[in-house]
Amino acid sequence: MKPGVRLANAFYVMVLPAFLLFFIFHTIPVIQGIYYSFTDSPGYGPANFVGLRNYIALFTDPRVLHAYWFTFLIAAVATVLVNIVSLAIAVGLNGRIKFKNGLRGIYFIPNVLAILVVGYIFNYLFSNSVPALATKIGIDSLSTSLLTKASTAWIAIVILAVWQSAAFNIIIYIAGLQTVPTEMYEASNLDGASAWRQFRSITFPMIAGFFTINMVLSLKGFLQIFDHIVALTGGGPGTDTESVALLIYKGGFQGGEYGYQSANSVIFFIVIVGFSIVQLRVLQRREVEV
Amino acid sequence: MLLVLALLAGSALAGCSSDNRTTITFFQFKAEAQQYFQQLAAQFERANPDIRVVVDNPADPETALRTRLVKNDVPDVMTLNGNGTFGEFASAKIFRDFRDDPVLADVNPAYLSVTGSLGAGSKGEVNGVPFAANASGLLYNKELFAEQGVAVPTTFDELIAAAKKFQAAGITPFYGTLADAWTAQSPLAPLSAQLQPADFFQQRFEGRTTFAEGWRSTAAELAELYRYTQPDPLSKGYEDGTAAFARGESAMLLLGSYAVPQIRDGKPGFTVASMALPATNDPAKTSLVSGVDVVLTASRNGAHPAESSKFINFLMGTKVMQDYCAAQVAIPTLKGLTNDDPALTGVQSYIRSGRIVGFTDHQFIQAIPLGPLLQEFLITGDENTFLRKLDSDWDKVAKRRTWGLGAVIKS
Repeated sequence: MKPGVRLANAFYVMVLPAFLLFFIFHTIPVIQGIYYSFTDSPGYGPANFVGLRNYIALFTDPRVLHAYWFTFLIAAVATVLVNIVSLAIAVGLNGRIKFKNGLRGIYFIPNVLAILVVGYIFNYLFSNSVPALATKIGIDSLSTSLLTKASTAWIAIVILAVWQSAAFNIIIYIAGLQTVPTEMYEASNLDGASAWRQFRSITFPMIAGFFTINMVLSLKGFLQIFDHIVALTGGGPGTDTESVALLIYKGGFQGGEYGYQSANSVIFFIVIVGFSIVQLRVLQRREVEV
Repeated sequence: MLLVLALLAGSALAGCSSDNRTTITFFQFKAEAQQYFQQLAAQFERANPDIRVVVDNPADPETALRTRLVKNDVPDVMTLNGNGTFGEFASAKIFRDFRDDPVLADVNPAYLSVTGSLGAGSKGEVNGVPFAANASGLLYNKELFAEQGVAVPTTFDELIAAAKKFQAAGITPFYGTLADAWTAQSPLAPLSAQLQPADFFQQRFEGRTTFAEGWRSTAAELAELYRYTQPDPLSKGYEDGTAAFARGESAMLLLGSYAVPQIRDGKPGFTVASMALPATNDPAKTSLVSGVDVVLTASRNGAHPAESSKFINFLMGTKVMQDYCAAQVAIPTLKGLTNDDPALTGVQSYIRSGRIVGFTDHQFIQAIPLGPLLQEFLITGDENTFLRKLDSDWDKVAKRRTWGLGAVIKS
């Protein structure tokens, strides 16, 4: 027997457990969920097959449509902000500064904290500390909690989301920045390029791949936003800050509309995959051009 | 070392198998009474050495129970809140039919009809045993009322006048806790019960009336009450409210008797009193909203029906119920038992004379976001939008579901 064949077998054996786990705990539930999306099951007890009725009802349900709109808003704003913030911090942390490693550690902390725990702390800050401070300084617009108005609650959610996920993006950007050869900066220095010019013409194009990954991962993550909202507003005031994931949880598990929200999950799954593919294509084409 | 561990594990397993007691699971929803029920279970185990009771008291119990139901893992014995979710589960044929069970013999029939109106597996079934009831009216601070010379209001106008008087004296009349959206349902229930047409929900289930018609005055009065809260009621929740009330920061609290243990938690000697919430200007029309705070029930097809019955009978014992109600400031459901807690004095006459109605909000299943809609309404004050959204959400859910909503009336 040729050694190559034996090697291939070994690879299959190594991949098999992961494949089985993925299939049992991911693929089968997905298929089950698709099945439930065609029933009126509450998740238990008797259920009937209802065809496409759940899907039709979804597109005429203002609560569902609002959740999609709200999720897209949060995801778009947070994705842009988190990339600006983390790229700026990463460039700073990559420079010749004191306590570089210590600072890098500190900036990474939000990533290891549980979002729910941090969320409740932010909730306290937004509903008590910020208004108290604003009243003292005399900023009327901030004297009531951001979380209590539909028009401002999303800002609080974005602040928490960006704060928390910047940590991970910073790490990726720092990794990216370290792949840029220092000779290029030395050469551009000799040519008299400004710091901004260096960033625009050397740094940013050189880390385009990392930018793509960060954009795709952030958008995917923020589309599934859940814990932040649970901790800050619980979907309120009213149902104004309900994201799609929260609505699926609330309606499916608390509201007893398992079938209906399964249909919503199927749609949401397609939407997220679609977004990620389009985004990846567009951003990677940009990488090639540079 | 490994050998020792293996031996230990072996002996532990052997220990389990030599224990030939029957194990029943007891799902307990009430977080406040967690320890209390655990002690009761231990007491029951001592009296019945052949039965082991495993008490399961999860956080967010309704969701936890739903996830267990998905796995077809129905606990043997359960305590649940007598609300819309209970009715929903009952109509999904999850619970046992207690119709002919002698345990119901001494239960006050008023409470049986309250749980019956929530939903049942089929017509005539009784799917739960009422264990403790509550009174949802209005809690007030006796000392502040005496200090300001305000008499206990018996009409809606008097209630508003009292609120104005407190406000003029610089005391918050009602403490708003809208961060927990459900708290607004507490005053909603007595207001709507007194102001809606008598057969309103039956008509609504049949699609012959709307909330815009039947609940207009309810919405107006509810909005009026919330005009007398502290500024920014949306940033405070249930626990903030009970704590602030106990500190004397507000004269009244729009919550029921179930909040009393929480209020006394930090301040045991606090003189909290209660009254029925008047919605009209005719004191004779005032009724008390009383629901079943704790309903006992068992799995329909449980593996240990005899042991489960034994445990339910034990919990329904006179002494157990009396003690529980005293500890939790609840109203006993057995005929002849009363609770003399001073916090219940103001509503006692309604209970004795049976001027009791069930919670109207329990007719809403969870899929209709009543709490969030109320929260939004009380911030914006936009009555028309609220009633319209309530109607459209109700119709939408009714249209896309083939069961659940309205099962009460059909059965």
